[in-house]
Order: sequence, then structure tokens, then C-alpha cells
Amino acid sequence: MKLTTLAFRNIKRNFSKYVMYFFTLTFSVFTVYSFLALLQNEVVNHAFIYRERYRSMLIGFGVVIFVFVTFFLISSNTSFIRARKKEISLYSLFGMTNRKVSKLIFLETMLVGLAALVVGILAGIFFSKLIAMILLNVTLVDFVGDITFSIHPRSIYLTILPFLGVFGLMGLSGLRVISKFELVELFKGEKVSEGKSKGSYILLFLSVLLLGCGYYFAATVDSYLIIMYSLPILISVILGTYLFFWGGLPKILHWLKKNKTKYYRGDNLIAISAFNHRVRSIASTMATIAVLSAVATTAVATGYTLYKNAEKDTYSRVGFDAYFYGSEELLDDVYQAFKNHGVEFESYTSERLVARPELRITLDDWLYYDSDNAGDYFRVYPQSVFNEIITFSRRDLKPVHIKPGEAIYALESWTNVPSLDAELKQAIMDSPFKFSNQTIRVTSFVDAQFLAFGAIQVIILNDDDFVSLHQAGDIITGKTETGPPFSKVTVFKYDNPLRSGEVARSITEILSGNADSFRVAYNTYVELLETFGLVCFIGFFMSIVFILMTASLLYFKQVMAAEEERGQYQMLRKIGMDSELEKRVITKRLLPVFLIPLIIGIIHSIFAMKSADTVVFSFMITQQNSYLVVLGLSSVMYAIYALVYGVFYFITKHQYAKVVG
Amino acid sequence: MSLMRVENINKVYGTRKGARKFQALKQINFEVHEGEFIGIMGPSGSGKTTLLNILGSIDRPTNGRVFLDGVDIASLKKKQLAEHRIKNIGFVFQDFNLLDTMTLKENIILPLAIHGADVHTIETRLQKLATDLGILTVLDKYPYEVSGGEQQRAAACRALITDPKIVLADEPTGNLDSRSGRALLELLAQINRTYNTTILMVTHDAFAASYCQRILFIRDGEIYHELYAREDKQQYFDAIIDVVSVVGGESK
Repeated sequence: MKLTTLAFRNIKRNFSKYVMYFFTLTFSVFTVYSFLALLQNEVVNHAFIYRERYRSMLIGFGVVIFVFVTFFLISSNTSFIRARKKEISLYSLFGMTNRKVSKLIFLETMLVGLAALVVGILAGIFFSKLIAMILLNVTLVDFVGDITFSIHPRSIYLTILPFLGVFGLMGLSGLRVISKFELVELFKGEKVSEGKSKGSYILLFLSVLLLGCGYYFAATVDSYLIIMYSLPILISVILGTYLFFWGGLPKILHWLKKNKTKYYRGDNLIAISAFNHRVRSIASTMATIAVLSAVATTAVATGYTLYKNAEKDTYSRVGFDAYFYGSEELLDDVYQAFKNHGVEFESYTSERLVARPELRITLDDWLYYDSDNAGDYFRVYPQSVFNEIITFSRRDLKPVHIKPGEAIYALESWTNVPSLDAELKQAIMDSPFKFSNQTIRVTSFVDAQFLAFGAIQVIILNDDDFVSLHQAGDIITGKTETGPPFSKVTVFKYDNPLRSGEVARSITEILSGNADSFRVAYNTYVELLETFGLVCFIGFFMSIVFILMTASLLYFKQVMAAEEERGQYQMLRKIGMDSELEKRVITKRLLPVFLIPLIIGIIHSIFAMKSADTVVFSFMITQQNSYLVVLGLSSVMYAIYALVYGVFYFITKHQYAKVVG
Repeated sequence: MSLMRVENINKVYGTRKGARKFQALKQINFEVHEGEFIGIMGPSGSGKTTLLNILGSIDRPTNGRVFLDGVDIASLKKKQLAEHRIKNIGFVFQDFNLLDTMTLKENIILPLAIHGADVHTIETRLQKLATDLGILTVLDKYPYEVSGGEQQRAAACRALITDPKIVLADEPTGNLDSRSGRALLELLAQINRTYNTTILMVTHDAFAASYCQRILFIRDGEIYHELYAREDKQQYFDAIIDVVSVVGGESK
């Protein structure tokens, strides 16, 4: 019999184990090829405004995926060879040299690998147009071009080469494992459990402590602290996860066993003792899966949250569909642009007025505002102007009513630490704003910093106060800025602003380089969507690769365990286990293996999202409880992730039942 | 009093169309009395394991009936069968079949746990049996951590914990050296005496059979001979050997 025939035969015989492996490998090839093809696609490249960012993100994540795939392949290959120890030892018993056995295993790996390469690349070519269209649809606001079906030979060999390298590595690692086998091990009974663990209180305590600390710091409201301690938080959570699976989970199982009323029920007894028996050999896998699940769900959830909030984020940054301040002639050009494109619009022009009250606001050691400092001044609006201008904004703001002698201070969140913000508010309210003839006090706050137009601080005054201060010369036109003093700002509101690319481009063309400053919501929106859409797109692929890798690793391990546990089920059936009980036993035996890592991964991710909320989202989402919004959007992703995992659980269960049945 | 009655049992393998038919059991008839220690002897392929599987309701006869305590086993449905196995029958297997994933205690209480007994019943029965069989101190150990003899006793304990009507032992000494084999047989005899447990043992070993009060010899799927225990053990053993030399060898 030739070696290739034997290899083919082995693949056929081990089909149930190879099929998942093949599937995962194929999808990895598909992902890597698709990313490469997208990089090569000229149309896609041209569609992106921020081309460099797009390219570097795709390349970066492509490399990340590839590294993970390499680890997955080598580790699953090693455990696969270990599982076939008996068979391999038999080959050598019948006189096959180690070299030849390695060659056989290598041949098998290569055959499956090459098949996966071919299928993966073919699928990549077949779906390349679809993938490109999905990417452009997700990331671009108004893409109108046509993507032609194309094959990229460079992407094909750029995919094949590294994968062949990985297969070579797999062959080498297989050789190393095989050369370690001793023939005598074949005859030794493998009765002594390798996987039983009693667990340890110390490890359980330590893991809970580490996770608790990690979670506590991740959930702090101080974004500065989170950024500062991000690495220690990450390390303590990852370490805590591993310690939990190594020592904590076995201890918990040990506790479960002490509850006799529950434990002495047939299915519990069989399932818990069987799980306990395996827990050590699968602990590292489960911990890795928990960590990877956390990474994948967090990536997708972050991308999705950012993506879904791109519109809100745009207006929290820009406030209006467009605004500019600059020379008066430009205003006519802009009007003309709107007319040329036939876009209905409204506009409002306001003065950019400045006030410099005598004022010092300090917070502990931090000098927040000092009127002696040239850069510290206020943009000022009378109540009537404020109430008028906000009607042109896409932000949801209510008209204000201000009593004489009082003022409203406009802010977003300054520090993002609620306690600190509260202190700062108190400090502002405590400080009198001294003008030459009168003193004004801040009594309330409004989220409207987008009205600053070049300044940092904004206050809104009572109309009468405004007039008297203006007459007294306390309120002046914006001469504090450098360059020509453009005293007026014009804001625009027009129909369908985030979809009207042409008018936005015309306005941008007119204003860029000419206006003192301008912003068009469309431009910001496009940039955000491009970036976050890409994050979403890549995160989606990365998650699928992670799910496939981790789930197939679990599948693999459980099916191999099933073969060893087959004898037990036969015995149990003899002493009276009916098929109903058997189903319950299998469920209880397999469910924790899938469920525990998933739950821990999601809990990790929930805390990671909390950190992300503190550092990023709460600046973007202007609602009171930005974390709830983030969680709401993330839970969609968690649900999808859990669903996909559930499917793999059922496949594994089916296969397991078939093996032991 | 008759505990088990076997009526005209036949077992034919290869009943499917086109398969070669093989009759493993032909018209088997016998009775087992309560408190009896009965042996079934025969050479390999004589059909004794098939018979045991049918008696243990693991396999079904092609035709014929098995009554246990007046109930026809064949009339039971699948779910009832599983319960019947737990409640009425205790098994002792050739290589004990203790689960390596469980401690001896967990192995022993398994049938009761499957049956859904309450913790109190489980604990009291376990305590009594484990004390009687002298394995109280090793209950929390795993099978591979204790001696072969202790494994045997644990297996016997598991067979007895449900207080079965009959204990079926399939070549229990098959994998043991002569000393461990003898210890197990003594144990079965002791169980038979102290609890008045009915035991049916399948064996091909004449020495093992000599512990039984009655022996049925099977050849080519038929009951060939029946032998009752005698006062003199040596005489009984010689009588068994005589029959075996006819039944067991290449007599065909």
C-alpha cells in the first residue's frame, strides 16, 4: 500500500474530526484571501478617502488573524496526533520508521490543507465581488461606482505562500511530537487520570481577586486611570481567567459534589464526575476561549457601537449640517453652491462675540480658568440668539430662559469623571463673573459646546444683561483670535445632509483654504463611517475566525473524549441508563464546556465595554447614560455570538452522541 | 419458590433477509429458585452470554418468554425495561466495569442515583453494604487507586445496592488470577448466604462453577445437562470436570 493511499484512507476514517478542522482552515484562507484581494482592488482603494488608514487596518488585522490561525493549526495538530497515539504506535510496532510515520501524518495534513487552500481561495474569488460590495456598503455613505468581478493572481500566491509555510511548521511540530512517543507507552494502560483536579482554594481566591481587581479598575469612572492602568488591568483579567479555569473551576465542581441531594441524581452524578475528570486537560483551552471570546465580542461590539453612533457622533462634534466663518464673499458662493445643486437650505448668521470677565476658577491644584491668561475668554450669546441658533442645529436642545444677573454655562463633559465634573460645576457656580459694572453668576449648564466656534468656554446671558454689557464694552467682537477678525459665523441646515455628497463636496471646495474655519457634517460623517465601518467589517471577520477556531477546538476535544468515554456509556446502559437519561447526561456533560467560557468571555467584554465607554463613548454619546446605549448595542452582538456558539454546541453534541451511542 | 422462569427461549441471529441464519439458543427451559446460586457453563460460542443478556433484558429473545416474579420481561416497554434493570437486576461484569471518572462510592451509588433515590436511602444502604463488604475506608478513592480485590467488592456492592431480585455475573473470574478469583467466588457465596440473594453466574471455569448449588451445561445453544451440588466438594468438582470433558472440548 502506498503512503498516499494510506493517508487518504486515514482522512476518510477520521472524517468527523477532519471536517471541522477543514472548515475552519477554509474560512481562514477565505478571510486572508479576501483581505488581500480587497487591498489589490483598485476600485475599492479609490473609493476610500482615507486610503492609508484603510490599507494599514486591513493589513494589520490580516496579520493578527494569520498569527492566530497559525497557533490554532499547530495546537490542534499536536492534540490530534496525541489522540492517535495508539494508531501511530501500532504503525511503528509493525516496522514503520518514525520518519515514515511523520511523512504519513504530514501527507495527511498537507492533503487537507491543500484542499482547504483550493476551496478557500475559490470561495474567496467567487465571493470577492460580494465582499467588496458589503465593505463599501457598510463603510461608504454614497458609493455609486461599479465593482467588476476580478481575480487577483497576486492575492492568490500571497495567500498560498504563508499558508504553505504554516503547513511546513505543522509538519515539523508533528515530527517533534511523534519522535517523543515511546513504543512501550502503547502497552501501558492509560487508566490513571491526567485530567482530574481537586482544585485549590488559593487559586480560586486568587483568580476571583485578580478578576475582581481587573473589573473594579475597568469599571472606574476615571478615564485617565483606565488608560494609565490598561496593561495591568488586561494582565490581571487574563491571568485571573486562566487561574480560574486551572484551579477555581475544579474547586467549584468539588463544592457542587458536596450538595448530595443534587449530586446524587443520576445525570448530575455522571456528568459532573466526567467533567471533573477532564477539567484539567481542557482548562487551558477553555481559558483561551474565554479570553478570545472577550476580544472578539469586544471588537465587534465596539465597532458596531461606534458605527451605529456615527450620525450622533457627527452632530455632537459639528452641531450643524455645516458652518463657517470667514469673508462675506464666501457666503454668496456657498449660497450659489446650494442653488446649483438644487438643495433647499436655511441659514443663520450670528456674531462671534467675546467676553473677558474677571474670573479665577480653581479646582484643587488645577487652574481651570484665569482671566489673566490670554487664551481664556468666553464666547457669549444672548438668550434670544441662542434660542434662535439651536433651531438650526441637529442637536436636540431646548430653548432657555435666563433671569437677569444669571447665566448658563455651555459644556459637554469636561473630565468624564462624574465626581470631578460635579466639583467643577460647583466651582463655576461659586465664582462670580465680574464685569466692569455688574456681576453675573452661572446658575445652570447646557450641553452646547459646539457653539464655541473657536473659543473654549461658552456662556449664554439674559438679553438685557447682554445689551448693557455690550454697551459697557465688556462684550466685544472676536479680536482675540489671530488673523483677520471675522466677526460673523454662518450656520446651515439643509435636507438630507448626510447623504448629499455633491453639495458637501462643493461647499468644501469653496471653503477649504479660504474660510477662517469651517466644518461640514457630511465630511465628518464620511470619515467616521469609513473608519468605524471598517472596524466593524474587520471585527466581524475576526470574530468568525475566532469562533470557528475556538469552537472547532472544543468540538475536536469533545469528540476525542467521546471515543474514550464510549465504554462508560455502554456500561451505564447495561445498568439501566435509558436513552432519555443519556441525552440529559450528554447535555450536562457538554454544555458547561461551551457555556462557561462564553459567559466569562461576555462578562469580560461587558467590563471592557464599560472601560471603552468611559474612555471613548461617553464623549461621543451625548445621552445621560451612554453605557446603557453601549450595552444595548453590544448585546445584539453578544446574542449573535452566543447563537453561533450554540449551533456549534449542537453539532458537537450530535457528533458526541453518535460516537458514544 | 420459583423466582425466574425461562420458557422455550430461542435466539436466532441474522433474521434479516439474505443474512446467514445462526441459532444461538434452542428451546431453553429452566427455573431459578429464590436464594439460589446457579451456574451456567459451556464452551465459547455455546450461547451462554447470549442467554445471560436475555435474562438481564439487555437482549431480546427471538421467541419464548422470561418471567421474573411472574412478570413477562418481553412485555415491558423500553422505558419500563430500563427501570426493570435498575430495580430487579444487579450486574457483575467480567472486568468490573467501574467508571474511572468516579470514586468507588460514586460508582456504587450510581444505579440508585439513576433510579432517583433520595440521599438518605442511598447513604444508609451504602453504609451497610460497604461495612459488610469491608470497603468502607476506600470509598473515596478512585478505582485505579485501590487493589483488584477492593474493585471486585465495589463492583459487587454496586450490583447489590438496589437490593435486586437477582444478580447476574458474567464470567466474573475471567480476568483474575486464581487467588483473586477465589476471593471473588467466596464473596459471591457469602453474599448469597448472608442476604439470601439469588445469583446466576455464567462461567467456563470448572472451579468457579463448583461454588454454585446447581449448574446448567449448555452446548450449541441447548441445555445439555444439569448438575446439583454434593456434600463432598471434591466429588462435585470431579463430576463437573466429567461433564465439561464431554460438553466443553472438541466434542462436536
